[in-house]
Amino acid sequence: MSDVAFYDFVRGPFLKLALFVFFIGIAYRFFRVVFLGLPKDYAKPKGNPYYMALKKIVIKPTMGWTFNEIFSRRAINFMGGFLFHLGFLGLTFLVPAHAFLWQEITGLPIPGVPNIVSDLLAYSALGSLIALTVHRALNPVLKLLTGKDEYLANFLIGAILFTGILATKWAGGGFYVWILSTHMFLADLLILYIPFSRLSHFVYYFLSVGFMGWNAGKRGVSF
Amino acid sequence: MDSLYSIYKQRGYTRRDFLKSSLLLATFLGLSPSAFPRVVEALELKPKPVVIWLEFQDCAGCTESFIRSTSILPSDVLLDYISLEYHETLMSPSGFYAEEAKREAIEKYKGKYILVVEGSLSPKSNGVYCTVSGKSNVELLKETAKNAGLIIAIGSCASWGGIPHAEPNPTGAIPLSQLLEDKKVVNIPGCPPIGDVVVAVIASYVITGKPPELDSMGRPKAFYGQTIHDRCYRRPFYNAGRFASSFDDENAKKGYCLYKLGCKGPITRNACATVGWNGGLSFPIRSGHPCFGCSEPDFWDRGFIYSPLSVVEGGFSWKKALVGVALGAVSGAVVGAVHKKLREGK
Repeated sequence: MSDVAFYDFVRGPFLKLALFVFFIGIAYRFFRVVFLGLPKDYAKPKGNPYYMALKKIVIKPTMGWTFNEIFSRRAINFMGGFLFHLGFLGLTFLVPAHAFLWQEITGLPIPGVPNIVSDLLAYSALGSLIALTVHRALNPVLKLLTGKDEYLANFLIGAILFTGILATKWAGGGFYVWILSTHMFLADLLILYIPFSRLSHFVYYFLSVGFMGWNAGKRGVSF
Repeated sequence: MDSLYSIYKQRGYTRRDFLKSSLLLATFLGLSPSAFPRVVEALELKPKPVVIWLEFQDCAGCTESFIRSTSILPSDVLLDYISLEYHETLMSPSGFYAEEAKREAIEKYKGKYILVVEGSLSPKSNGVYCTVSGKSNVELLKETAKNAGLIIAIGSCASWGGIPHAEPNPTGAIPLSQLLEDKKVVNIPGCPPIGDVVVAVIASYVITGKPPELDSMGRPKAFYGQTIHDRCYRRPFYNAGRFASSFDDENAKKGYCLYKLGCKGPITRNACATVGWNGGLSFPIRSGHPCFGCSEPDFWDRGFIYSPLSVVEGGFSWKKALVGVALGAVSGAVVGAVHKKLREGK
């Protein structure tokens, strides 16, 4: 198979398959949980579950932003997690080639960023991903919470970031189309993998955070 | 037989002119400076190349491009040097005499002549879709290719099947290499290819006696080793995230990158951005039009000439997404409800 034939495959039929499976999987997981329901709870709510759900959604991203929390106890988690998410989401939506894709899908005029900005986002995302993965592997508590799913997801995202950097920086090489196609192939795999992994928090983030807040409100406890 | 140098002398050019052309040729081919004396010696002494040029399912655009290739050799020298023994569009004789001339050339220059094929082949229905002098295209190709020293597929049609090969491909068009699997074919794709590249490949065969170094798809590495994007003069605008959004907006006037308008430069290997067209004057991107990847296989079937490379081919369909959501919702609801029943039954 030639590089361009592979390129046509990953941006054509394979991407369409990945998107179709993604939508099936995401809807399947959501409706399965909804229809499974919760065990009946006859206790009267001790607080305001809906207010707490909203509060949790709004303040969750900045909850740990205190000096002590960040630098004295969980520096790698907070700094790494913040940089990684900022970098990865920034790259996903704002790299010009990606922005044109989102523009086509949403119809909104999404601005692309220059290479210097995407470079900063990419290096911070890749660096923090490596730091977070090493931290996961070495930290005695996190180690227990980590399974193959996390390592596979981190590897996949790392490979996407790495091939994306290579594709952007590549000049004068005969393998450019292979690198670009590999980057897109891995992205297709990630789209396919999201509904079957914990990466689905990418879609269910507000729902799950809201549910945590709702639960806390029902029990009348603070976060 | 005449060498390039003797033709230069006959035409009244100086030795300096000859050396300039030789140097340009060596540079085109990416040869090292130390190879220059060898290039000069070969062009001074070796006889001019004999070419038999066959046209099948083509538009003769590759021929048009070839006869306008004047970067390396002056136009009056070009057709004197490249001895076209048979070329349906350019030769004066026709009918029986033309075919006889071809037969004689094949006999006389057995194993030495260069066969250039323009256009795709059509073996479907015993080749009835393309015949010359009562013979099918397949028959004509096989009898001419048998004793050729070098075989060149010129243009995207001969190299990949090209536009005749595009869906629905009514004539069953195929590339040259598919019919000549036992022979080495040099592919010079493009619609049309750059004429100077064709001249350089033929001259390189004269100089070295063998085809130039090829990539895995049979293209000369010297000209098809890099993408247009790699060498595009608008690349800095791509890096800076500056794009034209339409052909006549302010950004287009400023010469910004044409990626958003559908430029296929990032996946297209060709020498347009370096060698250029019309004596190096310009190439599509310089003229303000995005590259549409004419030198890559199946470029016509790719079918999104004016959409950015990164969008979903054929457009993103919310309808299909909703079908997926509906399928997932129904199956999720059924599985969830069954689990709930089972849990309640315990």
